[in-house]
Amino acid sequence: MSDNQRFKSTIGKRKWAKPAVYSVVIVLICLIPLFIGTPYWVHIFILTLIYIIVAVSFRTIAISGQLPLAHAAFMGIGAYFAGMTSKFLSWPPWLTIPLGGMVAAGIGALTAYPFARLRALYYALCSLFLGMAIVYAIIAPRDWTGGRPGLTGITPLFPASNIPFYYLCLGLTVLSLIALHRFEFSRIGTTLKAIAQSYMVAGSVGINEVFYRILAVGVGCFFAGIAGATYAHYNTVLSYTSFNLMATLWIVIYVLVGGIGNFAGPIVGTALLIIIPEIFRELKTFVPYISAGILLIVVYLLPQGLVGLPKLIWSVYLERRGRRVTGRMEHLI
Amino acid sequence: MFILVALGLAFIFNMMGILNLAHGAIYMIGGYVTYEFAVVLDINTWAALLMSTAIFASFGVFLEKYCFRPFVGNFDASVMVCVGITVILQNIVNNMLGTQVMAVPHFVGGVFRAGLVSVSYERILTFAVGGILTGIAIWFVNKTRLGQQMKAITQNREAAYLQGIDVNRVQSLACAIGCGLAAVAGSLMGAYTNLNPFMGDDMLATVLMLVILAGAGSIGGIVIVGLILGAMNAVLPVVLTGDYAQAIYVAIVVVILLFRPRGFFGHEV
Repeated sequence: MSDNQRFKSTIGKRKWAKPAVYSVVIVLICLIPLFIGTPYWVHIFILTLIYIIVAVSFRTIAISGQLPLAHAAFMGIGAYFAGMTSKFLSWPPWLTIPLGGMVAAGIGALTAYPFARLRALYYALCSLFLGMAIVYAIIAPRDWTGGRPGLTGITPLFPASNIPFYYLCLGLTVLSLIALHRFEFSRIGTTLKAIAQSYMVAGSVGINEVFYRILAVGVGCFFAGIAGATYAHYNTVLSYTSFNLMATLWIVIYVLVGGIGNFAGPIVGTALLIIIPEIFRELKTFVPYISAGILLIVVYLLPQGLVGLPKLIWSVYLERRGRRVTGRMEHLI
Repeated sequence: MFILVALGLAFIFNMMGILNLAHGAIYMIGGYVTYEFAVVLDINTWAALLMSTAIFASFGVFLEKYCFRPFVGNFDASVMVCVGITVILQNIVNNMLGTQVMAVPHFVGGVFRAGLVSVSYERILTFAVGGILTGIAIWFVNKTRLGQQMKAITQNREAAYLQGIDVNRVQSLACAIGCGLAAVAGSLMGAYTNLNPFMGDDMLATVLMLVILAGAGSIGGIVIVGLILGAMNAVLPVVLTGDYAQAIYVAIVVVILLFRPRGFFGHEV
C-alpha cells in the first residue's frame, strides 16, 4: 500500500503522464498488425487479449479472498451460450456476447450464494469441483452442445480476415480493463480487500460479507463470460478441453506468474506465457518446457511474480551501491 | 485403485498441507516406467513394478526437499510448482513415447470362471494388491512409531517439533510413500487399461474429490469414502447416460461439501 501511495505522489505532480503512457502503449498495440501482419501472429495476439480479460477478471474475484478454481468453466458457460444461440437461434454477435456475459454472471452469482459460507482452501476446492460439474453438464446434452467432440458451426464474426477481430478484441479488452480497474479501486474494491484481510473485522464494521463476495463473483464471471463468448465467435469451434480443470489451472498460472498482488500482474503474465512459447515455436516439442521453466523460475526467484521484477532489480542495484535495503533477503530466496 | 492414489495424496496433504497437483502425473509416469522396464529392457514384470516404485519413492524424497518444503503454507507457490512438474513430466512422456497405444504386460493371465461370472485374474490381482497395500498403509499409520509421528505432525506441526520429532525426515518419508503408491497404482492400471500421457488428469480430479470428501487427517476415511464413491460411480450410469451421470455425480459431491466442508471424517486444516 505504501508503495502505491509513493507512486501516486510522484505522478500526481504531472497528471498527464500516466494517461499519456497508456495511450502510447495502446496506440503501439493498435499498430502491431501493420508490422506483424501474418495471420498466425494476429491469431496469437487475439488469444492473448481474450485471456487477458479472463485472467484479470480472475484476479477481481481473488482480491475478495476467494480463489475461484471454476473460472474457465464460467468462460465456457459464456462461450457455449453464445455459440448455441448463434448457431440455433442465429442471434447476432452484438447480442450474444453481452448476453453470454450476463448468463455467466447470473450462474456465477447463483452458485456464489451457497459458496459464501466456505472460505480459503475449502472455497478453492469446492469451486474446483463446481467447475468439473459445469463442464460435465455442458457436454452432457449431446444434441445441443456437441458433447465431447465439441460444438461446431458457430457464425464467425469476420469471415475474411482476423485483423478486424483483433481490433474488436482490443477494444473489448481495454474497456474491460478500465471497468475492472475502476471496480477494484472503487469503494467496493476496497471493501473486498478488507473482507479478504479479515472477514470478522469487516463484518464487525458493518460490511455485508456475503453480498460483497457474491458481487465480486458476479462481476468476475461477467467478464469471463464475455471473453468466452468472444472466443466462441472467433474460433467457431468449441471443445470442452478449453474449459476443464487444466484450463483453469493455466489461468491461475497466468495470474500467479504475473503477480497476484498487482493489477498489471495478470496482464504481464498472460502476455508472456502465451507469446514467449510462440516465439520459440520452431523448437516444437520443447515449447512446453519453456512455459514450465518460466513457471519454476518465477516460483523460486520472484515470489511477487514478474511484476515484482523491477523492484527486485532496484533493490539489488541499491545493494551494489552500498545502501542497506531491509528485507532484501526475503526477495532473493 | 483410486484408493491407493488417494492414500498417497492424502499422506502428503495431511503432513504438509500441500495439495500435490503433480500426483496424477506421477501416477501416469509410474506406469510408463514400469512399461519401459518390462518391455524395452525385458525384465520380469513384478521386478519392473518394484523398480519403478523404488524410483518414484526416491523421486518423492527429492520433491519433498526441493519443491514442497520451501512452500509449506504457501498455496499459490505450491500450485505453480506442481503444475510446472506436471507439464514437464507429461511432455517428457509425450515426446519420448508419443501418443501410441501401449499397455504394461499382464501380471497374470487367464480368466477366473465360476458359473455365469467370469473375471480376469488381472482384475482380481489389482483388487488384491490395492486392498493389501491399503491395509498395510492403515496399519503403518495406526500402529507403528513413524505412523504415530505422522499423525502428530498432522495434528499440530509446532507441537510435533517440540516433542523432538524430526519433522523433515517424517515428511520426506510420507512423500516417498505417497509417490511410491502412485507409481504402483499407475503400473497396475497400466496393465489393466492402456497407458496415455494424460491419464493422470482424470485420476487427479477423482482423487482430489476423494481426499477432500474423506477429510484432512483421515486415512481410514478414504477407504470408506472410496467405496461409497465407487458404488455411486457404478450405480449412477444405470439410471442416467454417460456425461449426465458424471455431472450429477460431481454435483452431489459439491453439495455434500457445501454442507460439510471439512469432509466426513476430517478436522479443520
